[in-house]
Amino acid sequence: MISPRFSPDIDRPLLISTLLLTLIGIAFVFSATSMPSSVTEHGLYLKQVIYLVLAILAGALIAAVPYRVYEGKTSYLLYAIGLGLLVLTLFIGHVGLGAQRWLGWGPIKIQPSELAKVATVILLASLLADRKKDWTQIRNLVWPVLIAMIPFLLVLKQPDLGTSIAFVAILFTMLYWAGLPILYLFFMITPIANVALSFFTPGWLVFLGLLAVILYRSRIRLLPLLLVVGINLFVGIATPQIWNHLQPYQKQRITTFLDPGADAYGAGYQIIQSKIAIGSGQFFGKGFLHGSQKALAFLPEQHTDFIYSVVGEETGFVGAGIVAALYLLLILRGIRVANRARNKFGGLLAIGMTSIFLYHVLVNIWMTVGLAPVTGLPLPLLSYGGSSLVASFLQVGLIQNVAMRWREY
Amino acid sequence: MRADPISLGGGWQRRERTLSILVVGIFALVLLRLFTLQVLQGSKYRELSEENRIRVEVLTAPRGEIRDRKGRLLADCVPSFTVTLDPFDKVYTRDPARLDSTLQALAPILGVDAASLRDKIRKERKVSFLPIRLRRNVEKRSVAFVSEHLDRLPGVQVESEPLRRYPLGLMASHLLGYVGEISDKELLDPVYSNYLSGDLIGRMGIERGYEKLLRGVDGKRFVEVNALGRKGEFLGEKHPILPTRGTDLTLTIDLDVQRAAEEAFEPGARGAVVALDPRNGDVLALASKPNYDPNEFSMGITQERWSELSSGGNYPLFNRAIQAAYPPGSTIKPFTALAGLENGVMTPGTFFAQSCTGEFRFGTRLFGCWKHEGHGSLSMHNAIVRSCDVYFYQLGIRIGLERLSAFMSKLTLSDKTGIDLPQERRGLYPDPAWYDKRFGAGRWSRGIILNLAIGQGEVILTPVKLAQIAAFIANGGTLWKPHLIRSVGSTAAAASGDSIGQYVALDARSLAAVRSAMASVVSDPQGTGGQARLDSISVAGKTGTAQNPHGKDHALFICFAPVDAPRIAVAVLVENAGHGSTAAAPIARKVLQSFFHPAPPESAAVLAKR
Repeated sequence: MISPRFSPDIDRPLLISTLLLTLIGIAFVFSATSMPSSVTEHGLYLKQVIYLVLAILAGALIAAVPYRVYEGKTSYLLYAIGLGLLVLTLFIGHVGLGAQRWLGWGPIKIQPSELAKVATVILLASLLADRKKDWTQIRNLVWPVLIAMIPFLLVLKQPDLGTSIAFVAILFTMLYWAGLPILYLFFMITPIANVALSFFTPGWLVFLGLLAVILYRSRIRLLPLLLVVGINLFVGIATPQIWNHLQPYQKQRITTFLDPGADAYGAGYQIIQSKIAIGSGQFFGKGFLHGSQKALAFLPEQHTDFIYSVVGEETGFVGAGIVAALYLLLILRGIRVANRARNKFGGLLAIGMTSIFLYHVLVNIWMTVGLAPVTGLPLPLLSYGGSSLVASFLQVGLIQNVAMRWREY
Repeated sequence: MRADPISLGGGWQRRERTLSILVVGIFALVLLRLFTLQVLQGSKYRELSEENRIRVEVLTAPRGEIRDRKGRLLADCVPSFTVTLDPFDKVYTRDPARLDSTLQALAPILGVDAASLRDKIRKERKVSFLPIRLRRNVEKRSVAFVSEHLDRLPGVQVESEPLRRYPLGLMASHLLGYVGEISDKELLDPVYSNYLSGDLIGRMGIERGYEKLLRGVDGKRFVEVNALGRKGEFLGEKHPILPTRGTDLTLTIDLDVQRAAEEAFEPGARGAVVALDPRNGDVLALASKPNYDPNEFSMGITQERWSELSSGGNYPLFNRAIQAAYPPGSTIKPFTALAGLENGVMTPGTFFAQSCTGEFRFGTRLFGCWKHEGHGSLSMHNAIVRSCDVYFYQLGIRIGLERLSAFMSKLTLSDKTGIDLPQERRGLYPDPAWYDKRFGAGRWSRGIILNLAIGQGEVILTPVKLAQIAAFIANGGTLWKPHLIRSVGSTAAAASGDSIGQYVALDARSLAAVRSAMASVVSDPQGTGGQARLDSISVAGKTGTAQNPHGKDHALFICFAPVDAPRIAVAVLVENAGHGSTAAAPIARKVLQSFFHPAPPESAAVLAKR
């Protein structure tokens, strides 16, 4: 990152929280892999340090180039590269934990979905920054939705449900920032809620009634109104019909897909172990390197997806709270930068990058404390992993880029 | 800090506030949760992390039951005990050497050697949250012993698991199959991603073919264990997930017919019987001899016993009804005749130039008839009835290999029947292209047509294929895909609903002529199939005696009954037993007898109890 001395407008709280989280991350990658039972992982924290150097370089580089360069044609190019890598992953990707998520040349392995998220945000920002378009018009939404849907489907195919939903979260946050009324976003989610409720008729009827009231009160135009009602009725009626006509093995495929199947026995267990680890940390924790739960290797992903439970066990409520607060600070600063930017593209860029952090931190931390299902998403900046770290620094770099140039139109 | 300028996005100010409140809310929830876990419930979790261990206890789903078409039980599950060990017990993570002493102590009780237990643990200990099954179906005495000494056997548990049972033992073993532990190779296959090491999986037969339905879904529960063994259920917010029983299957098999087929064989005989309903392809019986007891596998079979079964002398695991193909011998003659009639090279009344003198000269070679004294001059009808080879040599020459093999391919003789059992092999009715490939273009004798016409030489068929084509003549032209499932679960799917048939249009007169000849094979005093005759029901059939270069001839018989409205078609094969008329036809008779005159219900009740 450009030194604060030369760029007085760099967002310091954002910079400091990022660096602190990264250092805490390296410390806990070291701790989580320090047990005698994980000999093969002992050097991982050193690799993470190397990744950090790379990430800082990447972040500084992307922050140094005025962000307006990424707008327009460049954004399409970046997006195309991101999609290309995703497609390549499906064909020649490495299989890890039952999914094709990695792309590698020799010793280097990258997770293209991490970069695709950044590229998608840049293109969406470029597109939504168009002032001539009224983003409350349904037909104008086709492109943004399509742009988010393609990587969504490609990642879903890997299959990586958790990461694919990130694209939806990004899209919604950015549409909201671009001016789409929150009511519209609600309508966009209704068919999904509908599918979930359609097997429970009383609930479905209540939901439809509620929807009708909201629609009536909202006084939206006739065409979108009919569209929302039509899609909801269709989905609600068709889903159970289709479901009943599926073969048992097809049903099983869908349920194991929605409920990460490879780990059918493990998923619930991991959450219990994570909760025991965090809970047993009590107020001040068991002390750095002194976690006893992690020593039993209950959580195979404790240096990646479950690193927050190691933090919770060893530093207790105080440490876990501080880490959470640092994330909160990072995200609030991101929103502030987005708000302050005079350029619409810049604002959207910052909010989009922030939304990636928000989604990942939310899903990962909620998972480790048992508020959300096991999805296999890393905790940005803290979890071990080069792709995630580099992508996080690209995101921070872009937010800082906007922060430094907030005056520019 | 300088004042923020007025934003241009239009309402961004308000959006920032809304979004920030949302984010703060999300993190407030995290803090609240952390407070609950670490401060309010912290001491409980601290105790759990220090003293106890939460483990997953798998609640194995019982496999679905299998019954015959009349509801008689063929396979079910009974409770049994499994001794498991948790290699991640704290005792072992602190002192790995303790594991060895535990295994040394357990091995003699379980009747397994300690080295193989060690191997098993090394292989399966990857998944830390699941205990490893050391031995299934442990005797009550050993269970009592282990239970009493749990305090000295850290991490060891006795769990109750359903054991697959086949109450009729050897009966129908090949069509039912058996269950065994999933192999390491299968575990690597994504198809089996929802299996864990040590899980049971169907092997062969219905158990394999309908594994997905029969298996059910295992449940699980979290239990808290301490140094003294199980402490109780861990009360998380999720209740135990109860197992879902596998789906019950009702087969098309008629146990009376199946039993008659299996009991009709002499002890030690090898062979197969397949009985079909020619109206819909229901498999009424499918027997292979010798058979094995699938219960042996459920109880945990030793490696030696397994090799004995899989490769020992008579290959009892081999399902001769679908996995073995034999020359059909004279049972092919009705089909050769059909080919002749359909190709217009003769009529049912045609006499050929050369009458049977017991031999037939073709080029420089002499081909014999099985009846050395000869049959004299015969029509097609009598040639089938008395199974005259010389007649069929001449018929084969007239049809020619091209047309004959084309007709047989229309009857799908070189294809699988598509029966819903795994590992069916295909038969072969060779065509000129096949001979060209095998021996080189044109480098094979034209004399092969003579052998093919009487079902010798390169033609080989499985017993199930023979039954399928016998049923084809019986029903007047439909090749049913044989199937074994009558209904799945409680849904009483009509048997015919699942029937898949392929209609092959033939001249009704050709079929009638062949049917009438086959009826005479059994009813005519000169017919070769007299031993399949029933008192009350008219039977049509055809004998076959297949020359076998490796030993005594194989005996074959195909038949259907009643002639006018057939309800059963049967194929019988007995390896190295000699003539079809004397070794195979009597077996077919017993099968037909059991079908038309089933055993009185009392004895059936006794059997079900056994």
